[in-house]
Amino acid sequence: MSPEMPRDFIGMSLPEQPNKYYFTLRSHRIVVESDVSVQNIMEKLQSYKSRVALIFEGFQYQLGDFQLRVGKVVPSHSENLRGIVMEVEYLPISSLEKSRQIMEEFIDIWQEALSKRSLPGHFIHVEPNFSEYGLSDHYTSQHTAVQYATVMAQLIASAQAVSTVRN
Amino acid sequence: MECVVQGIIETQHVEALEILLQGLCGVQKERLRIHELCLKSGPNLGAVPSELRILCDLEQPEPSWTVRHVGGSMRGAGAEQISVLVRPMVESKASKNVLRFFYVLGYKLDHELLRVGFAFHFQRGVQITVTVSSVNKMLKLHATDEALPVTPGMQLVEVTAPATSENYTEVVAAVTSFCEHLAPLLHLSKPGISTGVVPTAAAAAASLMSDGGGTTL
Repeated sequence: MSPEMPRDFIGMSLPEQPNKYYFTLRSHRIVVESDVSVQNIMEKLQSYKSRVALIFEGFQYQLGDFQLRVGKVVPSHSENLRGIVMEVEYLPISSLEKSRQIMEEFIDIWQEALSKRSLPGHFIHVEPNFSEYGLSDHYTSQHTAVQYATVMAQLIASAQAVSTVRN
Repeated sequence: MECVVQGIIETQHVEALEILLQGLCGVQKERLRIHELCLKSGPNLGAVPSELRILCDLEQPEPSWTVRHVGGSMRGAGAEQISVLVRPMVESKASKNVLRFFYVLGYKLDHELLRVGFAFHFQRGVQITVTVSSVNKMLKLHATDEALPVTPGMQLVEVTAPATSENYTEVVAAVTSFCEHLAPLLHLSKPGISTGVVPTAAAAAASLMSDGGGTTL
């Protein structure tokens, strides 16, 4: 394969958008929203094939104005736990900047509560630079797709790091 | 899957065709301005060469994008018996950076066209779309404002209808039946089978223009 072509990209579906499908190319900061039928097109093109499929499954909670989703990440045909993902959504505001402070305060409270439980592992949050993807301050499902793509990259990187240590 | 027939008509008779279609379809026409980009896989991309089309609808206030893949037409003795082309087709709406996405994946622009005209979308037992458009080429990359007709004086007429493997015979029958009404003005056939303009077109067009479509052809 030519070096300038990406080796892989991420495709995903989100529960809140059942008729949509999202592609994310982190290397080029591209996110595409399309109809679910685009998966049929990609299958017919046969230029890229599915290598790994991960499922994020868990539970959704309502905490006042916050909606939380906490779930495990497992390969589609296995029960090997790859990680735990938590999604926090502040429902009243769609502006990233305007909601930043309250989101950070919520995360601080969450991290403090976790630290008192002596649970193994710790949550990592890396906020993508949405503007590099051409996304605005107004939060959309495309922002969610970019965040999940970032999470997947982190999970893959950490799995590879663990594998390297073991070897 | 879709059923398709095509034909050509002289530009001078398009207005008459529009009158006829207005009467047959019973709906308002929609203006059409579609920038069509044909992409083909570059070298070393995938086990087999692949091709897709990216359509940009420029008639909307905000351009909308569609990805389209057309497969090989149905073959065999049964397919040769019918006068309508039946082929697999999948479309997907997509966000505006879809072209850049496929470029990055390794697809190259093979050619681009600008289709300008109008379309009628209506029900006649099945969903049918008739588009009448001039096909234009761009002298500079993506320069849709500087497009020139590929065949000046001639326009392309397409009749398409979505179908499934279960109902395509019904769709074929509906499309064939509809096309018979257009016979005095143009002949529609499978893409790739050229039939030219019909000799009755001028007289039929004159009749339609003289009384606004009141005459039965």
